[in-house]
Amino acid sequence: MDLQRTKLFDSHQELKAKLAPFAGFEMPIQYTSVKDEVFSVRNHVGIFDVSHMGEFFIEGEEASHFVDYLVTNDIKGAAAGRAIYTPLCREDGTVVDDMIVYKISMNKILLCVNASNMQKDWEHINRIKGTTHFKCTLTNHTDDYSLIAIQGPKAARMAIDAGILSVGEESGFAYYGVMEATYQQKNIIVARTGYTGEDGFELFCDHESARKLWKKFLEMGAAPCGLAARDVLRLEVCFPLYGHELSDEVTPLDSGLKWTVKAKASGFIGKAALDHYKAKYHFIKLLLPEGVPRQGYVVEDETNQEVGVITSGTMSPTIGKGVALAHICKGKVATIDKNKKFWIIIRGKRYEAKLQEKAFIIGGHK
Amino acid sequence: MSVKIPENLKYTKDHEWVSLDGDCYTMGISDYAQGQLGDIVFVELPAIGTKLTKGKALGVVESIKSVSDVYAPISGEVVEVNSEVSAHPEMCNSDAYSAWFIKVRIANKGEIAELMDAGSYAQCCN
Repeated sequence: MDLQRTKLFDSHQELKAKLAPFAGFEMPIQYTSVKDEVFSVRNHVGIFDVSHMGEFFIEGEEASHFVDYLVTNDIKGAAAGRAIYTPLCREDGTVVDDMIVYKISMNKILLCVNASNMQKDWEHINRIKGTTHFKCTLTNHTDDYSLIAIQGPKAARMAIDAGILSVGEESGFAYYGVMEATYQQKNIIVARTGYTGEDGFELFCDHESARKLWKKFLEMGAAPCGLAARDVLRLEVCFPLYGHELSDEVTPLDSGLKWTVKAKASGFIGKAALDHYKAKYHFIKLLLPEGVPRQGYVVEDETNQEVGVITSGTMSPTIGKGVALAHICKGKVATIDKNKKFWIIIRGKRYEAKLQEKAFIIGGHK
Repeated sequence: MSVKIPENLKYTKDHEWVSLDGDCYTMGISDYAQGQLGDIVFVELPAIGTKLTKGKALGVVESIKSVSDVYAPISGEVVEVNSEVSAHPEMCNSDAYSAWFIKVRIANKGEIAELMDAGSYAQCCN
């Protein structure tokens, strides 16, 4: 199958990015160095081309009722202008995908989904829609939108200077807010979201505006950042990633996402199963003073018993230590207190890991 | 940035460099290898006394996103290990040829002829 390219591909080539296949796209993995790109986002500002992601629109008077029924988090109760992170589950509670629901207005909702799950999500959502009678339309605009994320402590200043939003708009625009805006007479959607834990924006726009904005941000000194840095940044702040913490095999309750599953009396897909579901795993954070943890590595307890597995791991450039998220089987370890000890097995050797209560890095978002 | 391939060293197709000195050799990973890997964050080396077999993994180099084996260019016994490079893996990025990994007493001198010179190795770096 031929790989797709985003509309910013020429720029990635000019910048000599390392390219690799990801979710059917030929994507920039890194431009200069993963470490430098991570530091740019934590300390200054970085930009990401995430145009491979999927965009579905749900519009109509019952749009928010339908999305509320579709996902586990509370969409009906959220105010217009808010973005909500949520899993999308099947009837049995397993996770089809995770996404951000952008409630642009009461009757216009944008779902931004993972590229690797876009087709699966589209079929699932259409299937559910076919079983219901909500007054709304569902359209797939994935090919019509480019998506640029601008992230870091200087992102707000740069967004103002680029003419995306005014000083007044910026000050009233909270983290996880979303609004419609114009850039050079073109309508764009601006969200104060991202996947790095830092302040920043995601800009859903037509391809021509995306090319202009990307070029403008580069000229203004934003560092182009690839998917490798994006993965490290999200892991440092302990955001889950589909294919790692989430999959077709687990429910949100297995990966620390109980907070995204609401009681919702009106019901939602998966509610009956999740109401009675007992999580199979403890979801924990491990810091490794020596060694680099990786997805799939075995986790053992003090008796050398295998008790779990690393779901994501890397060397954190920001703290200079190995960081990991892990699933620990509740069948092997009933409860976990803060003094519980774990070891990660790397190429046959045991490396002692420290259990962390909080995320490895607290991002600077407002 | 152009890739450095010093004329006085020998190379393998797996991107290790070798410096020959009588009965022993010193080795590390090439400038091309470090560039491809990116920020190197972990280097695992064998202990002194370990017997190496040509072409078999002797250790591991990890970048932020990848794990790669390092292979023995020539069979032999490890006689010296550079603990500096394990303590400061980023040395491989700043100067791949001063960041040596191990010194090895050669078991089979016949294997030396199978190494590449700088000119041949340059063909492997395109």
